Parts: sequence; structure tokens; C-alpha cells
Amino acid sequence: MTEKHSEEIISRVYEAGYHIVPSVKEEDVDQIVASIRAEIEKQGGSLIAEGAPSLMKLSYDMEQRVGEKLVGYDRGYFGWIKFEAGTHAAKALTDALNAHKQIFRSIVFKTIREDTRAKYKAPQLREVKRTDTLKAAPRKVESTDAGAPVSEADLEKALETLTAE
Amino acid sequence: MAQNNILTQNDIRVVDYKDVDLLKNFLNPHGRVLDRRKSGLTAKQQRAIEEAVKRARFMGLLPYIQK
Repeated sequence: MTEKHSEEIISRVYEAGYHIVPSVKEEDVDQIVASIRAEIEKQGGSLIAEGAPSLMKLSYDMEQRVGEKLVGYDRGYFGWIKFEAGTHAAKALTDALNAHKQIFRSIVFKTIREDTRAKYKAPQLREVKRTDTLKAAPRKVESTDAGAPVSEADLEKALETLTAE
Repeated sequence: MAQNNILTQNDIRVVDYKDVDLLKNFLNPHGRVLDRRKSGLTAKQQRAIEEAVKRARFMGLLPYIQK
């Protein structure tokens, strides 16, 4: 099957996620992000949104080949960039991120322009520390006030009716 | 019949792989994706969740397996 390649450049919205090696100093992370941004702009893309890299623990250890050695990472600076670019730009950026020595994992995929983060907040249980003293809610005491005070005569009369039965 | 699941209740049309707290609702204690009977999702939603979970796993946001 042959494909017809049209000359016009199809522009699409992509998102790139990346992990920067944790050995990089926090001040130098911005330089790496700037280089990713420059790569996108070099390919004729335009930025839409961005998530600044922050150090996070990985769910499993990852390895990156550095020279002839495999270097393992259990944490990394995770960041993401959403951008609009042509189809060739996505491929070029994928290759650039894979070749980047200070990025050990990256992903580029098609997405939509709108913000995709859900406004969902997971219900959480209240955290109780071991040292906290638990205070029981005060019991509801039924009001003992029975309105107006009862006179002696009425009380005796009521008692008599009770004992008479 | 109207679906009564987390995505529908919270009006979530697009699932993002970075929403780990949301995705964890659709994983079992071993880290595997729940099937549609248990997740209560529509076929389209289930595909979106599966794709997002796979991306999150690749990026180390979720584990492939949990012991």
C-alpha cells in the first residue's frame, strides 16, 4: 500500500514528559528545560503549557546506559511540556530527548490543547498521630428542666394516684 | 442506563497519565488494571484509563507490579 504525502505541514498538539537525572543540581535543571524548549522552537513548534520539573521518587528503579555502564536511578526531576508542532517535530524531539545525556526517560505523545488534568481529589482518611489524644465528642445530655417547678401538693397528689393503682 | 463511575461523576472526559491519584482507583493492590466489570467504566473510558496507566508506568509514576 502506498501513502500519499501531502506537502502541507500538519500541525498537532503534543506533550513531552521527561525525567532529568537526580545528580543535576537544582539550579541547573532550568538550563536543561531551556534546551528542550529551544529544541521545540528550532523545529518550528510553539509552547502551550509547561510543568516545572520537581524531584520525585520513582515507582521502580530505572537504568540508563552511560558509556559502557548502566546507571540506576530511583528518583528524578519529572517535568512536562505541551506544545504545538508539525509531525516531523515530534519525531525530532523524541530523538533529541532520547539522545540527551541528562534525561534518562522521556515520552512524546499526541494530546489536546485543553488542560487535561482532572479536578479530582481523592478522598483521604484523616491522619491521626500516635501521640494525639482522642477527645470524645461531649454526650448530649437530655435537658432535665421540666419547665416550671412542681409544687409539693401536686407531687403528693401524683404519688397518691400512682400508689393507688 | 447512566454509568455511575468516578469519571462520569466528576465529568472527566480526558484522562491524564499524571493524575496518579485518579488512576489508582482503577488498579488492584497488585498494580493491575481492574476489568470493566469491577471498574464500571464504559469501553471508551476503559481504553483511556488503560492508555494513561501504561504511560504512567513507563514514566515511573505507577509500578508495573506491586508486591
